[in-house]
Amino acid sequence: MTDSQARPAFLRDAPLAFQRIREYAIFLLEPDGTVASWNEGAQVIKGYSDAEIIGQSFSRFYTPEDLLAGKPAEILSRASRDGRVEEEAWRLRKDGSRFWADVVVTALRDPDGTLRGFVKITRDLTARKLAEKALRQSEERMRLMIDSVRDYAIFMLDPTGRVASWNPGAERLKGYTAREIIGHSFERFYPEQELRAGKPRLELEIAAREGRFEEEGWRLRKDGSRFWANVVLSAVRDERGVLVGYAKVTRDLTERKRSEEAVIERARQQAAVAQLGLFALEHPDLDAVIDRAVTTVRETMGTELVGVLELSEDGKSLVLRAGCGLDVAAMGRVPIELDGVAEAGYTLSSAGPAHLDERRFRMGGFLDAHRGGSRVTALIRGSDRSREAFGVIEAHSRTERAFGEDAVNFLQSVANVIAAALERRSMEEQIRIAEQKAVEERARASQIREALRERDEFISVAAHELRTPLTALQLKLQTVERGLKMGTQKPAAGSSVEPRLEGALRQTERLSLLVERLLDVTRIAAGRLDLALETFDLAALVRQVADDFREPAARAGSELRLEGPQALQGCWDRLRLEQVLVNLLSNAVKYGAGRPISMRVERAGERIRIAVTDQGIGIAQADLPRIFTRFQRAAPLRNYGGLGLGLYIAKHIVEAHGGRLEVSSRPEHGSTFVVDLPIVAVRAAGPEQAAARVRA
Amino acid sequence: MMAGKCGKTVLVVEDDADVREAIAEVLSDCEYKPLHASNGAEALQRLRTAEVRPCVILLDVMMPTMDGWQFRAAQKSDPSVSDIPVVVLSAHANGSEAAAKMDAAAYLAKPVSLERLVTVVERFCGVEQG
Repeated sequence: MTDSQARPAFLRDAPLAFQRIREYAIFLLEPDGTVASWNEGAQVIKGYSDAEIIGQSFSRFYTPEDLLAGKPAEILSRASRDGRVEEEAWRLRKDGSRFWADVVVTALRDPDGTLRGFVKITRDLTARKLAEKALRQSEERMRLMIDSVRDYAIFMLDPTGRVASWNPGAERLKGYTAREIIGHSFERFYPEQELRAGKPRLELEIAAREGRFEEEGWRLRKDGSRFWANVVLSAVRDERGVLVGYAKVTRDLTERKRSEEAVIERARQQAAVAQLGLFALEHPDLDAVIDRAVTTVRETMGTELVGVLELSEDGKSLVLRAGCGLDVAAMGRVPIELDGVAEAGYTLSSAGPAHLDERRFRMGGFLDAHRGGSRVTALIRGSDRSREAFGVIEAHSRTERAFGEDAVNFLQSVANVIAAALERRSMEEQIRIAEQKAVEERARASQIREALRERDEFISVAAHELRTPLTALQLKLQTVERGLKMGTQKPAAGSSVEPRLEGALRQTERLSLLVERLLDVTRIAAGRLDLALETFDLAALVRQVADDFREPAARAGSELRLEGPQALQGCWDRLRLEQVLVNLLSNAVKYGAGRPISMRVERAGERIRIAVTDQGIGIAQADLPRIFTRFQRAAPLRNYGGLGLGLYIAKHIVEAHGGRLEVSSRPEHGSTFVVDLPIVAVRAAGPEQAAARVRA
Repeated sequence: MMAGKCGKTVLVVEDDADVREAIAEVLSDCEYKPLHASNGAEALQRLRTAEVRPCVILLDVMMPTMDGWQFRAAQKSDPSVSDIPVVVLSAHANGSEAAAKMDAAAYLAKPVSLERLVTVVERFCGVEQG
């Protein structure tokens, strides 16, 4: 190297070659920094010609800042000391513009070490510098962008899962500062259970294998609270494909999850209300609906205590109608003033749901025993205008709980189902009353028809009965009249006027008696069956009536037997009792013809019994109740004439005396009628009782 | 003036003794010969035992033991007496209907006038009234 002749030719030619290089400025400096040579590259890069720059100080290539800092001298001094200095820095062109230069300054020394100068090689790196700057700016923008993201945690993990970067979103979401977390394993973001299952490692494995892993799951914050996270984990590899780490983007979906859960909860509440509504439709029993409503609230809201409080009639107190967790039987009335201070009272007066707020409401009554926890109440509307509020339903959680709008709406819906059931019951009640009225009206119409029919029959029977004596009367009077017209001529052998007139008179007596009986019916109906009480011997009266009937009975083929005491003094209406006895005996003769008839009189304490027994056709059991009513006879009308009023009148006469008229009978064996009387008549049959029988 | 053209027999079936007696008196006055029966059963007995067949039967409807309907049914079923005409005598409002159903020759509503009674009886006994 020392012998230039021995050097290869291309080395001898090197200075010329350097002279031609255009990409590098290659030039020599004197030890003091004076430019000693200049090549084409220097001319291109720096803009000076040989003549302009050789002999000038190289310091003119430096920026004013560098000059001020003594940079040129420092460079030469360092190169002199170290043999070589390389740097990248701004330099000036001849025209004053700057360029980014890669500069290498090498000291040239003699073999004895004397400094002879410096070789300076400068490359223009402006283009590269600009590209680098652009890249840096781009990276900076990315960093700024990531830093500005607050809703996403964006951070890097190294290949082992340690946190390598941390953005403000991550800090906000997870609660750690960058200083606290960088360098630590990302496993601390996972709940205990998932850690045990090896979840974090598994996620890294999947991301490494497939490039990406995404899931939603619970993650932990620094304070230990959980949040529902959407996590995307991406593997990051260098240009050779070597795994350099992972990018992790995490989003907090707790709110979204909560709203999803709220949707599910709302659906569950709506289903519960629908089921309750269906139950209410199928069960008319209000208490069953209320009990079901209480159960529905407890199961759906998860509250330990549920109560339905019903407003009392006077609107001043609430009564626990149904409940769970509350002792319904033991709870009494709860005085509630509708002043807006008692919670249930507030709900009643405002018609709006109330949340328990101990500062605002007191609970009132027995409910004060259940202080604490959280409560919500809703109004149950009444079924009609007179009762706007039925009461309130309340749900009470023993532990503090925030009842949201959904819970309040649900409770109100349950209250509305109860209100609908109330309204339905009210309408059914109205229908029932209307139907009842219709039934009563029909019954009344039927009674009126029956009364009209009875009246028609009465008129018909009365007319029939009156025509019979009238027939005899008319014929007798007409024969008498005809006889009188004929003068003295006697009508027929053995007949004369007088007996015929007597016969006519007898018919008028019959007629007046009939009319009297008809009037009796009217008197009884009007409650004016007055008694003329007098003291007399009833035994004597019975004997007299029996004597009167002995002959008719004998004609009917019946023997009349009488048993009884000699005398029985008492106070009664003589004519009326005679009427009763005549009726009973004439019936006995009529229906018991051909068989013995017995009368038996006896005294038992202060009462007297007169029994009339025949052995005739008797009365069927089914007919017994109606024989004492008007116009009734058990026997067929075409066989037995008569008004059918006898027993009806007799019964009322006996009852007017404070007695009873009873019958026992066996068909084909005969009947026994018993008159049971007090010794002294007690006017027992009041007008009202008799009047109640009036229908027509 | 009343000539003795009667003398024929009339059966009076009537449960009311007063009415029966009054009718019999009227008939006797007109020189008929009344036979008495207080119910259907007695009437049948009279018909079967009478020496003279009555030329007409005055029949009440409602009577004990055997009523007018039963009597009429029995009479119709007995050829020896079935052709004797029956005049129904009733106080009932529906008496004329009953008479028609019983296939009676005539109907007299109670109370009946003497004149009408005599006219109807004469029609069946072929006796002219003077």
